[in-house]
Amino acid sequence: MLRITLKSVRGHFVRFLLTAFAVMVGTGFVAGTFVLSDSIRATLDGLFNQASKGVDVVVRGTETGAAGQASSGRAALSLDLEKQLAAVPGVKRVVPDLQGTALIAGKDGTAVRSGGAPGLGFFWDPQGQSFTLLDGRGPTKAGEVAVEKRTLELSGLAVGDTTQAVIGEHRQSVTIVGEVKFGAGTTFGATAVLVDAQTARTLFAPDGRVGDFQLEAADGTSEATLRAAVAKVLPADAEAITVTDFNEENQEALGTALGFITTFLLAFAGIALFVGAFIIYNTFAMIVAQRTRELALLRAVGASRPQVRRVVLGEAFVVGLVGSAVGIGFGVLVAAGAKAALRSFVGIDLSSDLPVDALTVATSLVVGTVVTMVGAYIPARRAARIAPVAAMRDDLSIPAKGLRLRGTLGLSGLAVGAGLVVTGVTRDDIAWLLVGPGALLVVLGAIVAAPVIARPVIRVVAAPFAATLGVVGRLARENALRVPRRTATTASALMIGLALISALGVVAQSTKASVADLVAQEIRSDFVLSAGGGVAVPTSVGPAVAALPGVQSVADAVGFGVRSSDGEDLGASAGTAKGLGDNFDITMRSGSLDAIDRGEIIVNGDTAAEQGWTTGSKVSLAVGALGQKEYTVGGVYAPMQILATDIVVGEDLFEAAVPAAQRFNQGVFVKAAPGADLTALRAALVAEVKQFLVVSVEDGEEFQSTAAAGVNIILGILYALLLFSVVIAVLGIINTLALSVFERTREIGLLRAVGLRRRQLSGMITIEAVTTALFGALLGTALGVGLGVALQRGLKNQGLELLAIPWSTILVVLAASAFVGVMAAVLPTVRAVRLDILKAIATE
Amino acid sequence: MTDGHVTAAPAGAVAQAVDLTKVYGTGEAAVRALDGVSVEFERGRMTAIMGPSGSGKSTLMHCMAALDTPTSGTVVIDGVTVNGLKDKALTTLRRDRLGFVFQSFNLVPTLTARENITLPLDIAGTKLDQAWFDTIIDTVNLRDRLTHRPNQLSGGQQQRVACARALVSRPAIVFADEPTGNLDSRSSAEILGFLRRSVDEFGQSIVMVTHDPVSAAYADRVLFLSDGRIVDEINEPTADSVLARMRGFEPAGRQA
Ligand SMILES: Nc1ncnc2c1ncn2[C@@H]1O[C@H](COP(=O)(O)OP(=O)(O)O)[C@@H](O)[C@H]1O
Ligand SMILES: [Mg+2]
Repeated sequence: MLRITLKSVRGHFVRFLLTAFAVMVGTGFVAGTFVLSDSIRATLDGLFNQASKGVDVVVRGTETGAAGQASSGRAALSLDLEKQLAAVPGVKRVVPDLQGTALIAGKDGTAVRSGGAPGLGFFWDPQGQSFTLLDGRGPTKAGEVAVEKRTLELSGLAVGDTTQAVIGEHRQSVTIVGEVKFGAGTTFGATAVLVDAQTARTLFAPDGRVGDFQLEAADGTSEATLRAAVAKVLPADAEAITVTDFNEENQEALGTALGFITTFLLAFAGIALFVGAFIIYNTFAMIVAQRTRELALLRAVGASRPQVRRVVLGEAFVVGLVGSAVGIGFGVLVAAGAKAALRSFVGIDLSSDLPVDALTVATSLVVGTVVTMVGAYIPARRAARIAPVAAMRDDLSIPAKGLRLRGTLGLSGLAVGAGLVVTGVTRDDIAWLLVGPGALLVVLGAIVAAPVIARPVIRVVAAPFAATLGVVGRLARENALRVPRRTATTASALMIGLALISALGVVAQSTKASVADLVAQEIRSDFVLSAGGGVAVPTSVGPAVAALPGVQSVADAVGFGVRSSDGEDLGASAGTAKGLGDNFDITMRSGSLDAIDRGEIIVNGDTAAEQGWTTGSKVSLAVGALGQKEYTVGGVYAPMQILATDIVVGEDLFEAAVPAAQRFNQGVFVKAAPGADLTALRAALVAEVKQFLVVSVEDGEEFQSTAAAGVNIILGILYALLLFSVVIAVLGIINTLALSVFERTREIGLLRAVGLRRRQLSGMITIEAVTTALFGALLGTALGVGLGVALQRGLKNQGLELLAIPWSTILVVLAASAFVGVMAAVLPTVRAVRLDILKAIATE
Repeated sequence: MTDGHVTAAPAGAVAQAVDLTKVYGTGEAAVRALDGVSVEFERGRMTAIMGPSGSGKSTLMHCMAALDTPTSGTVVIDGVTVNGLKDKALTTLRRDRLGFVFQSFNLVPTLTARENITLPLDIAGTKLDQAWFDTIIDTVNLRDRLTHRPNQLSGGQQQRVACARALVSRPAIVFADEPTGNLDSRSSAEILGFLRRSVDEFGQSIVMVTHDPVSAAYADRVLFLSDGRIVDEINEPTADSVLARMRGFEPAGRQA
């Protein structure tokens, strides 16, 4: 039996090759995901180990509230603590964690950035082990910097050059005195600039507070001993932790983030494999149908049903194993591509190479082989059911089972799924528990019902061809309809990918439209100043801009964490009543916005309802790094996107709660005074922020397109990932067509004999392919748009207020699908055209 | 058969082979399927080709019908020399001037009987001559089967559809390779009668391979092939005369 299996694989080599290819792409994704996440993990490990070299204990503030973008959620520590810590016996060295943002201008005068990654500032510690000097010397006084190797490369400058820099919030001219290498080899994409210790103290900790201190133990003192000794002298708002525990904690946190990336990529691997399973199913179904006589002969000479089934499953095993083995190699390529993409688009540089460990290999092989065998299982069972007498029968076609049951099942699945989705989205808050399974049911229902839907849809799609191309078009249409199951399965593969693409398209387009609408509806600002992801707008920009003539008021976009008395983490933003009121369209449901200037808080309507707070309530909160204190609710505002946080506090409270080094200002909204000359104001703003190198000035429209650009990038990544499933679908079409051509060898010979030209033959096969592809595409986009619309409805209250359908994208997708059909037909066509007429006629 | 039906069309050769040779394979394994065959098929006549299995009958048909290329020799169809024609010209020649009936699998399963019959015209984009179509349909007696697909037709009906298709484009000559090989005697008689009528009434030229002396007797002339050579011929055959001649070739066997 094994010999028969292997012979068959060799005999149908090309067919199996295509099937194996589908397996390969799917497993490649799985393997690539593992390789990439291993690489990220290795890079992070190196980073942590390097960063904590020469550190034994970390002293940090106690946790007070939620970590937010502008706050670690921990109390900040006074720099004065340094001396106290140094005096503890067993402490060899105390290093305050003086970090901030630092950017230098490159040769071209613009800030040196690496994608959206942050620009970090450190201080040069001659005894520290995080950085090693490659060239020159470390900075020793103000105006001197050392620059990290890759950052220096990006800048186009060299040691000895003088350039402009923004250290913390201060613009200054600096001389590059040295080049350093980060111990781990990569800063994970961030640029890094080192200043001397004194400069770091003044610029990175302007309020005399830092996040933590790193302690090195004297020889012979263990981490634990040192921790215990240090803990005794600490104030109430500080705690000591051994570096081992500290790293573990951080790695856990990063592990969660990593888990997200992995899950995300694995989801696409799952889609690719799911689509691949269809191709595998189809291939095996066709091969079994073609070999009915051969398999029946096996049965006739005494093979049992399980043996016949094993022959087919054995083939699947071989194909699956080969496909997934090659897939591992492909996975390394996928990971390498992702690594390159991370580097050039996001600025994240993975220093680790791409490790392929045993787990990756084993998982990929098992997943690929199992999926192939699952896909081949139904055909294998069908093969086992072939009666021995079929060996003697002339009529080789396996009678097609009725499609009625399938139609009923699929259509009811579709209906129930659609019902669930509709119920899930027509409530205040989208019910994912209904929408998720509902959407899945809709897609599965469509797959099951596809053979039934195929007949009418293909008739319509093929109508123009039949009308214009006469018999060639009619033949193509009939061929596409000949085995509706097969056409439907082939089209389903494409359908899945395109359903996802168009659902995403609708959501993305709606997001863009809603963002644009938000800018129009909620933002009244004339200008927005921002520095792009990862880099904050210096906090001094707001006040400086506010002082410009022609500016009425400004509002900073800052977010930070707040923890309620019962431990719930909430989000907060901050501003002055005038700044917020002028720039944003805030509707107060009760109380007044002015309350925030009096140290009270105002609360988002949704949060107020959840917490049961009303204007006048006294609530206990830990705001930023401050401990639990009582605040008065001064008002409740109608929920809105731009102030989507739970509460809004005044400027004074914000400054007290969040240490200067942690205030991450994403942007400054600027409202011009009535009648101000906007062109002049813009020029003044540009002049004002020029010194900060990275801050740009945008008007409302520009801000809107910047916001949309973010959506486009995410969309681009998702599309690229989904493209893989489309590629697999194309392989499926090629495979099906090639097999059909093979099956119809005699018919093609006959057509050629009665005078069908080669071009007409190519046309016939191409139209069949295009019709099949368009069927899948139409079904997919219809489902996708439907689901997209449903999602938009469901997320109406979460920022997707407007529905926008990307018709042009959908048209492009449909046109591309037709093109995909044409491309998929090339190989089968070549094969058909080359058929020797006589041999074709003689084929049994 | 009587003299009356011999020529309804102008006399002369509609198809001609000169010193036709076909060799399959090379060296030791080479098979001379045709070994210097020269033959003329007259316009408006029905010729039967007989001979033992493997004698080269199908090969001769295929070479004459521009489905296969001879190793050497010349084929002329309706004044056109086939040798050296490119695929496109060959295709056009087959489509417009030649008709075929194979032993089996003559029809495209996805097309109805009517569509199968008009296939050569549809492929060429030529307008259907409705009167001619009606004439053929009535001759083969298929009017009530036109909307059926091949799998809804009996073997005999399928072959009648195939014959109708072979005639619909008014080809110069029709080649039929054992057209009744798979049929019972009644269906065979129908098919042969129809072919005969198309010769008598429409002046069609037909070449037909057969194993059956009774079938051969429908023809105006019978050629005997053996080992790739024409070894004998009978004009105005009867079943008995053919059978008597075949006995002379024993023990070559009778089955293909
Ligand atoms: N494609 C081919 N390759 C090799 N030999 C062939 C091929 N076709 C026919 N032959 C050989 O040529 C000879 C004549 O075959 P054929 O014309 O089919 O005979 P007939 O139709 O009279 O039975 C036979 O010996 C056959 O084996
Ligand atoms: Mg033969």
